[in-house]
Amino acid sequence: MSEHNSEAAISVRDLWKVFGPKPEELINSEDAKLPRAELMKKTGNTAAVVDVSFDVAPNEVFVVMGLSGSGKSTLVRCLTRLIEPTAGSVEILGEDILKVNTSRLRHLRRTKFSMVFQHFGLLPHRKVIDNIAYALEVNGVKKEARHKRAQEVIDLVGLTGYGQSYPEQLSGGMQQRVGLARALAVDPAVMFLDEPFSALDPLIRRDMQAEVIRLHKEVGKTMVFITHDLSEAMKLGDRIAIMRDGAIVQMDTPENLVAKPADAYVADFMRDIPKSHVLTLKSLARAPKPGEATDGPELDASTVIRDASPIIIQAGRPIRVASNGKPLGIVSSEDVLKLIAGEEQ
Amino acid sequence: MSTAVVNKATKIIQIRRLYLFLFVVIAWVSLATIFRGRATLALPVSENSPFNDRVGAVAAAIRAGRFENPAFIYFFNPLREIIDSAVQLVRTLIAIPVSGSIIPVVGWFGVIGIVAFIVYASSNFKFTFLAVALLLGTGVLGMWTSTMDTIAMTLTAVIFSLGIGLPLGIWAGLSDRVLTFLRPFLDLAQIVPTLVYLAPLALFFLIGAASATIATMIYSIPIVIRITALGIRGLNNSPVEASISMGSTKRQTLAKVQLPMAKQTIILGVNQTVMAALSFVVIAALIGAPGLGGPIINALTVRNVGDGFVAGLAVVLVAIMLDRSTSAAVKTKKSFVPPSADEIKRRRLNVAAMGGFAVLSIYLSRNFLWAAVWPENINTSKIVSNATNTFVDYATTTLYFLTIGFRELITIAILNPLETLLAQSPWFLTVAAIAIIALIIGGRGVAILSVILLLAIVYTGLWRDTMLTLTQVIVATLLTMIIGITVGVWIGRSQKADTAIRPFLDAGQTLPAFVYLIPMLGLFGPTRFTAIATGIVYSIPVVTKLVADGIKNVPKSMVEAAIANGSTSWQVITKVQLPASKRSLLLAANQGLIFVLAVVVIGGFVGAGGLGYLVLLGSSKPEMQGKGLSAGLAILLLGIVIDRIAQTGARRK
Amino acid sequence: MKIKLNSRNAIASLFIALGLVLSACSGAGVDEGASTDTSGSTTEETATEAVAAECGEWNIAMHAWVGYTAGAQVLTNVGEELGCTINQVKLDEAGVTYDAIEAGSIDVIVEDWGGGRWQEWADRGQLVEVGENGNVGLIGMFVPAWMAEEYPDITDAANLNKYAELFETSESGGKGAWYEGPPGYTTIGEKMIAAGDLNFQVISTGSEAALVELFTQAVENKTAALGYFYEPHNLFGALDLVRINWPENDWSAPEEADGSTDYPKSPLIKIASKNLIDSGDPFATVFQNWTWTNADQNQIAADIEAGTDPAVAAQKWIDANRATVDGWLG
Ligand SMILES: Nc1ncnc2c1ncn2[C@@H]1O[C@H](COP(=O)(O)OP(=O)(O)OP(=O)(O)O)[C@@H](O)[C@H]1O
Ligand SMILES: [Mg+2]
Repeated sequence: MSEHNSEAAISVRDLWKVFGPKPEELINSEDAKLPRAELMKKTGNTAAVVDVSFDVAPNEVFVVMGLSGSGKSTLVRCLTRLIEPTAGSVEILGEDILKVNTSRLRHLRRTKFSMVFQHFGLLPHRKVIDNIAYALEVNGVKKEARHKRAQEVIDLVGLTGYGQSYPEQLSGGMQQRVGLARALAVDPAVMFLDEPFSALDPLIRRDMQAEVIRLHKEVGKTMVFITHDLSEAMKLGDRIAIMRDGAIVQMDTPENLVAKPADAYVADFMRDIPKSHVLTLKSLARAPKPGEATDGPELDASTVIRDASPIIIQAGRPIRVASNGKPLGIVSSEDVLKLIAGEEQ
Repeated sequence: MSTAVVNKATKIIQIRRLYLFLFVVIAWVSLATIFRGRATLALPVSENSPFNDRVGAVAAAIRAGRFENPAFIYFFNPLREIIDSAVQLVRTLIAIPVSGSIIPVVGWFGVIGIVAFIVYASSNFKFTFLAVALLLGTGVLGMWTSTMDTIAMTLTAVIFSLGIGLPLGIWAGLSDRVLTFLRPFLDLAQIVPTLVYLAPLALFFLIGAASATIATMIYSIPIVIRITALGIRGLNNSPVEASISMGSTKRQTLAKVQLPMAKQTIILGVNQTVMAALSFVVIAALIGAPGLGGPIINALTVRNVGDGFVAGLAVVLVAIMLDRSTSAAVKTKKSFVPPSADEIKRRRLNVAAMGGFAVLSIYLSRNFLWAAVWPENINTSKIVSNATNTFVDYATTTLYFLTIGFRELITIAILNPLETLLAQSPWFLTVAAIAIIALIIGGRGVAILSVILLLAIVYTGLWRDTMLTLTQVIVATLLTMIIGITVGVWIGRSQKADTAIRPFLDAGQTLPAFVYLIPMLGLFGPTRFTAIATGIVYSIPVVTKLVADGIKNVPKSMVEAAIANGSTSWQVITKVQLPASKRSLLLAANQGLIFVLAVVVIGGFVGAGGLGYLVLLGSSKPEMQGKGLSAGLAILLLGIVIDRIAQTGARRK
Repeated sequence: MKIKLNSRNAIASLFIALGLVLSACSGAGVDEGASTDTSGSTTEETATEAVAAECGEWNIAMHAWVGYTAGAQVLTNVGEELGCTINQVKLDEAGVTYDAIEAGSIDVIVEDWGGGRWQEWADRGQLVEVGENGNVGLIGMFVPAWMAEEYPDITDAANLNKYAELFETSESGGKGAWYEGPPGYTTIGEKMIAAGDLNFQVISTGSEAALVELFTQAVENKTAALGYFYEPHNLFGALDLVRINWPENDWSAPEEADGSTDYPKSPLIKIASKNLIDSGDPFATVFQNWTWTNADQNQIAADIEAGTDPAVAAQKWIDANRATVDGWLG
């Protein structure tokens, strides 16, 4: 087992979760590599998380993506031991989560982690404010104090005036705001979000994504964000891990995933995403060919191509790309066209 | 594409199974004709099989130890005494005179006040009015004291049942291991006919109000456990998971999330428990429960339809009262939003006023004779009883030829041939035939289980009586299904019919079968058909409801598509609605079988013979007790066979 | 949530109030209220109360048949005159009631036909055989009177086979139907059929109601029926039944019967709980001393059957036979 990264907020090593009659026997075995159906038939087990290792830096938004059934939810639940992992180790904020006793674990859950759920998981018999104050309540915070804190987060997520409502009186988007507020109420160091927006319709989903970006900027949390929506992953993730059949097949920044997919599975995944929306000028920058103009306007390498293209067209000549003032090369309108054309086929 | 292929394949298998089934039946009938009358294992009623003798000896040994055996001294007898003092306490509160006085602690007017207050506090004015009216109705019928006894018995049993059942149910809702442990008992409790409980319990707890309460508890505790566990398990998992993820302890999750969310289901469970306990308290008159059951069973033994009807009517009034007042607390709309502050305030005032009325009425009932003892001159029991007797006499004499004709038709055309097949052929042939049918319908596991249980029945020495009972169960279920499907389709398709008929079905479900056993006896005489008819009446409500709900749940689009294709109503019913509600039909058949079994054995009271008669025989003739207990066991085994075959059959198709 | 809390509070406060009301008027119950209403009778009231202190509370098993009700009701009325509290508890006969005596929920069985089946319970000590009550029961097989008129020799058991097919029904499997007595009663039908080689099939009727139904229809519709019945029974007033005769009885315990002779005349037995007998209570004395005749019983039973309230019918008999009753008081 490799060492944990002590700098990381979350550090996961060789994590396994097997459902079935004899889970331990599957760890590191050849059988674990079998396709799900065959494994089920042969051993009666499902390997939901297979030998997963990764680190998440403080304040990073780490996105986990994959098809339905690829083990995303299981993975995220293993991190806080809502599901007990079969093998491996998890360190969060320097503490070995799988070794702590239940009361310590409860304390961590009450103060350091929080989670947002796909189906909200609100308590239908409690008012919004009492939903949000729940974690404080179970931690023994006095009513006045916890309501004061709850009111702050209600305002933070834009639900001012709805504190006395009941969940069933709110729309789906508002309910998930309650879910977010509840997760923020304890001012956690780490947030886990399991497909928080997939039950919402597209317009509201976009609002909520913007909301998360805003909140992340304002409160700066370490986040593990699960989704199966690629554009959401691209929009939010500092880094993205792609899972298949329980294992992480590739883990990288959005651009690198699009630019250099590790295998056909990932490439297939990335096919639908317009590259110009994800890639930055950095990936197109090249040395000027002889005779090309090199006096175009200068743009930063981190500019997304889609945003750069009007400027390139307007300029009528290649633009210069620089990273922190250091020139990387030029990009012509032809380069951009080629990239877009490449997507079409 | 592939689903179409699969559908076709299953269809072919089903058709094959049908042919196979027919073939087995033909082979069975021909073999049975050849070997008719041989190896039928018939045992005269007054004789015991070796097994019966052994059971009888065990029973005698248990009886002999009643004052010596430590199990009795330290467990059964003290338990009985505890329950007894509780029952007597509740009874002296409302039903029987406090010693040295002529009235209970609270007289009739006080009881009215208390009931009004409790119902109002848990629901609304409409239900309060209804409850009070129904309660007054029992008084007008001249049944006040018996009614209070029945209510006292029911309440005591319910309180103990909830006290034991709720914690167990919650535990079974939280722990898989506990549920796995309890499940066989819960399943069994759904199959065992009420009549079967009584004799073994009397052996340990003897006879009287306490024994009846214990029997009622044993009947209703599984219901509490089942519904509570289901309520907790059926909860949406995400709030529970959210609660754990926020660091709640198990106890916090239970108290702050699971219980509040499951509250409605649990109240529903309380309602079901109350109803079950009430219906059992009536039957428990057989082992000494005071109250309305006594007159009903008495009326059965001396054939007084009128008196039985009066008591039966009082049971129905109490049943509706208890049902409506407990189910009123179950909110129909699934909302957690409480009413506004103003409403709460208004209600609080009303509730307080009602409480004041209750206190006043208690005071009056303790100090004034008119409010203490139900006025003697307000008593219609004689009138109602006589009117009923006149009506029933008239109906039975005028309908005699009709009912007898129908009875004879069914008896000669179905009942006798089937009985010949099941009971007059060699036992091993019948066992083999049932096993093969189980194999075709349910698969290998059920077939093996059936053979084992049927052999166990053979071993009890009551094979032939079991086959007599089985015959009646099958015939009654067939007729029930025919009627139930017809009516069910009708009310499933027509809202008007539903509104008109459903109240009768609801009322029919709360009526203890004993109540209509006597009119049936008048219509059909002391025959097996009387048992069958009673079984049919008892099971029709549940079967009809299941069929109707099944028909209603067929997607509208399917029906519309069929109509758009130009189907006639008949075609819509037979080609779309019935096939699409197959699951409900199978479930209805399964429930029908179990309900019918429960009542057909009561037919032992009216000349239907079979296992039910032996149970009765065993409880009154001490030398036949072994046989009676064995008959109870045989009913249980038969019930499991029927249930398993029907259930696996339903699951496979 | 809130509402529930309120009503819970309200219920709690109700019970507190209830407690207050109860304690406030304890001692000032209805009885006093009733006695001041009938002012002047206070002395009488205390007189009965003095007796009441001596006489306890006793439970009489109530079996279904009217003859039994007659006896039980007479005992109830006499007991209440003495100031006892007598509860009537409806129960099935024999084993069920014996168990009830052991459980302490029954103290008296007015008449038992069981022929000594209680021995085991008596051996354990809680059940005491008190002796004969004076009634004599006679069980037998009966047919409606019209059959005896039409086929005069049918009343001889030896001729039953000749008429077997008259009794055939769809229930009896090609033989004559032989309706046997209810579960708790002494029955030897199967032995009789075997001994006489009778072409009959026993049909177990589970209750007296079934038999009454059978004979009612047989008399009213002139259908054939052969069934178990017994005397004393008030039904004989209403329906014309004729007894089938077997050779004179030669057994007393059913196990000894070989089926070739008739049922015996059985003296009916009084049974009590040990509690009652040991109490020295006036009611125990009455019960031990009580005997009467079939005629006495039938007189009351007929009144009851005619629609008189049992308590009234019994009181009428008591008033008419005061001397007999006084004799029981010891
Ligand atoms: N409690 C369980 N018992 C057995 N198998 C399970 C259990 N929970 C999950 N699995 C299996 O583990 C696999 C991974 O499930 P998981 O829910 O983690 O997938 P997911 O990536 O979150 O899918 P989705 O996008 O549908 O939420 C699936 O094959 C699932 O069937
Ligand atoms: Mg998931």
